[in-house]
Amino acid sequence: MSTTLLEIRGLTKRFGGAQVINGIDFEVSEGEIRCVIGPNGAGKSTFFKLITGEHRPTQGIIAFLGRDLAHVLPHERIRMGMSIKFQIPGVFPELTVRQHLQLGLHRAKDDSAATLDRLLEQFMLQKEEHVPAGKLSHGKKQWLEIAMAVSLKPVLLFLDEPVAGMSAEETHATGELIMRLREGGLTIMAVEHDMTFVKQVASRVTVLHGGRLFADGALEEILARDDVAEIYLGKKK
Amino acid sequence: MTALSTLYSVIYQFGDNFAYLVLAALGLAVIFGMMGVINLAHGEFIMCGAYVTIICAKRGIPLPIAMLLGAVAAACAGVVIERLVIRHLYDRLFDSVVATWAISLIVQQTMLLVAGPSMEGISTPFGSFVFGEYSFSTYRAVLPIIALCVLGALYWLFFRSNYGVCARATIQNANMAQCLGLRTDHLYTLTFALGAGLAGLTGALYAPTMTAVPTMGTNFIVQAFVSVVVGGANVIAGTTPAAAILAVIQTALTASYGQLIGQIGLLLTVIMVIRLMPQGLGNLFNRTR
Amino acid sequence: MIQPASGAVSPTLRQPVLPRLLRLAPWVLAFCLPLVVDANASGNFAYYLVWAFAAVGLAAMWGQGGILSFGQTAFFGLSGYTYGIVTLNLGDGWLSSWSGLIIGLVVSAGGAALLGYMIFYGKIKGVFIGIVTLSVTLVLETFMAQTAGPQWVIGEARLNGYNGMTGMPPLTLPWFGGPVTLENTSFYYLVLVLLAVVYAFTRRLLDSPFGLALVAIRENPQRAEMLGIDIRRHQLLIFVLGCTLGGLSGALYTIWGSYITPSAMGLTSAAMPVIWVATAGRKSIGAAIIGTAVLVWLSQWLAIYGSEYALILMGAVLLFVVLAAPEGLLPFVSDRARWVFTRRPSKSRSFETQKRSES
Repeated sequence: MSTTLLEIRGLTKRFGGAQVINGIDFEVSEGEIRCVIGPNGAGKSTFFKLITGEHRPTQGIIAFLGRDLAHVLPHERIRMGMSIKFQIPGVFPELTVRQHLQLGLHRAKDDSAATLDRLLEQFMLQKEEHVPAGKLSHGKKQWLEIAMAVSLKPVLLFLDEPVAGMSAEETHATGELIMRLREGGLTIMAVEHDMTFVKQVASRVTVLHGGRLFADGALEEILARDDVAEIYLGKKK
Repeated sequence: MTALSTLYSVIYQFGDNFAYLVLAALGLAVIFGMMGVINLAHGEFIMCGAYVTIICAKRGIPLPIAMLLGAVAAACAGVVIERLVIRHLYDRLFDSVVATWAISLIVQQTMLLVAGPSMEGISTPFGSFVFGEYSFSTYRAVLPIIALCVLGALYWLFFRSNYGVCARATIQNANMAQCLGLRTDHLYTLTFALGAGLAGLTGALYAPTMTAVPTMGTNFIVQAFVSVVVGGANVIAGTTPAAAILAVIQTALTASYGQLIGQIGLLLTVIMVIRLMPQGLGNLFNRTR
Repeated sequence: MIQPASGAVSPTLRQPVLPRLLRLAPWVLAFCLPLVVDANASGNFAYYLVWAFAAVGLAAMWGQGGILSFGQTAFFGLSGYTYGIVTLNLGDGWLSSWSGLIIGLVVSAGGAALLGYMIFYGKIKGVFIGIVTLSVTLVLETFMAQTAGPQWVIGEARLNGYNGMTGMPPLTLPWFGGPVTLENTSFYYLVLVLLAVVYAFTRRLLDSPFGLALVAIRENPQRAEMLGIDIRRHQLLIFVLGCTLGGLSGALYTIWGSYITPSAMGLTSAAMPVIWVATAGRKSIGAAIIGTAVLVWLSQWLAIYGSEYALILMGAVLLFVVLAAPEGLLPFVSDRARWVFTRRPSKSRSFETQKRSES
């Protein structure tokens, strides 16, 4: 019986008059690759931001490793073992790839060269070790971002649209990368639009619709459901 | 009668302080609030307005016209400076601070060379009136009213005129504004000129009350910065209440304990505001919108 | 905006062309200087170097941390006046003068911690930090300017308003034959040694993981926060270091001239460290030291020989630097030199996609 890392109960978020998230119950267990999908406007972004601490819930509890995150500041959540990769690559343009990884590794208290080299290898960034991040291609920037998130040695890795803007090959390579991370013991939760990617990596899938939990289950189950295909208007199975 | 005149004396002081704070700050607040640029040459625009006013008045031009000319001269100087220097620095606001300081230095020193260390000023118009035991300068009693008129005109400009809508759109989202066909570069120039013109107006209004020296702008700078810090970036909803509150504090403390305590009171207010309301008073209004 | 090709942190990455030996050269020259000039000149050179501490502090805060503070001169004055107050009360001995120096630094550090706490934990950001620090400096000056009356006295020390506080004793060292006064050549060496220590310490700090985190905070604070970096703590620490160095300049200045006045905290003075650091190149503390010494010397020279145009010239130079060489003159010159020698463009142009600061 694997540990529950993230537990969410009755999560609700209102912005002024608009009810964006409406009573969501959600759990992530150790060792999963969990994908959160849903049509535009379903509330995926807001859901993500509630977990990372950018927004505060109107109601409900978000607990990580059993601890209520209600008053925990974002940088403290990171220290607890969460690690986040945002949709828009937020690299530091003047710092090199190597320096980016050093940032995370120092926080994880592991400054050894061996670990850094292993990370570079894992994320296929060896050639770009001393290149300033501002000059990397979009795909490499995304990988650098994920590498930074991983360098923190987290327990749970959050990815917001990790393959946004990537070509088909890059998407596939990223998928492989994510699977290797899971083999290494990392639990991953991703919000993603791209169904090819989801099919490649997900163990469980959660579908959001209209701010509510629409469906939740193993990948094959969700893919087989007609009502899921319907709400996706135009998305093919 | 004595009580009434003492009361009026306090009101007069308050009005005087308020007018000074508000007028000193307006030009700075407009440029900072609308464009994020800290204009360290603010004092020099004030000086420009004052000098032009004095020169015109001494030539026989009626005082109100001379003052208008002073404000316009400052606005024109603003246009020149914006086009030559500021417009290159919108994406690096820290450097605009340094650049405006350089301009301030150049202008001050050039003025010193050209016009000498001081220039004979003009006298305060309207003389004085007596109320109870005190006599007050009529002109300085009227200044708060003028200040309020200026504020009213600004409010109309920002919220009721076409310029205002375009300017606010550009400030909130310049890219989008451009896509809608707004000439953002013209707007920035206009706004900077507006801030410079307001500073020039301040100089013009206070010209009859002080000696004209090339460094006269620096007298206003402290009050201007303090008002902007307390008021935040919002020009109408921030600077005005800030000036009012600071004027109250300064008046009250000066009346009870003297000039120095009044100044200390300002400092303490600034510190408290920084601690409790770091974005300034204007933010309060933002949140309730 | 032009971005340098390599990261802003490690010197070996930043200047691969200049060998380490070349970087030691200025220090060697500086140490040998008193051998070729007389004692008085050494004393003057000490004066130029005294301002370098404030410049190093600002370069560390601003160049690395992205914190533009106009408060250097506020702490300059704070430490200077503290030295005066302590030594005028405790007398002439070596203990008194050194205590004055140490207490002056402690007061600046404490003041910086308080101000920094209010700024960074109050979420003040970007150019607004500049406005707030400038306001504090100006109000402090206004306050000190009013203290001319005899009631403004702390112990034996009168604050004296614009007349300035004078008569404080210099630094002395206990020695076998009697106390040695540190002045002219000996004072020059003291300042030089202090500068070397400060430089080495700051260099190590900025190259450490702490310094790297500062660059990350400067470039993208939200992303840095999501790496588990406590932004406020990092900013507060570098702010305290930077301001205390400003205080060190102030104390040394007061010791050098036996004199301190509120004009050291005026609007012109407050902008000077920013001018020097911006002109010299804020991302390099070495450049900041050299640039400051040169600029202070230059303004003195201009004041004597071409007073009327001196400040206009300085203003024009500054304007040129801001518009044409925004990274500072020394990086501008060294990049051009590198191009001449290697015929390879050493700078990369990357597009600025975000406004640099929020208000």
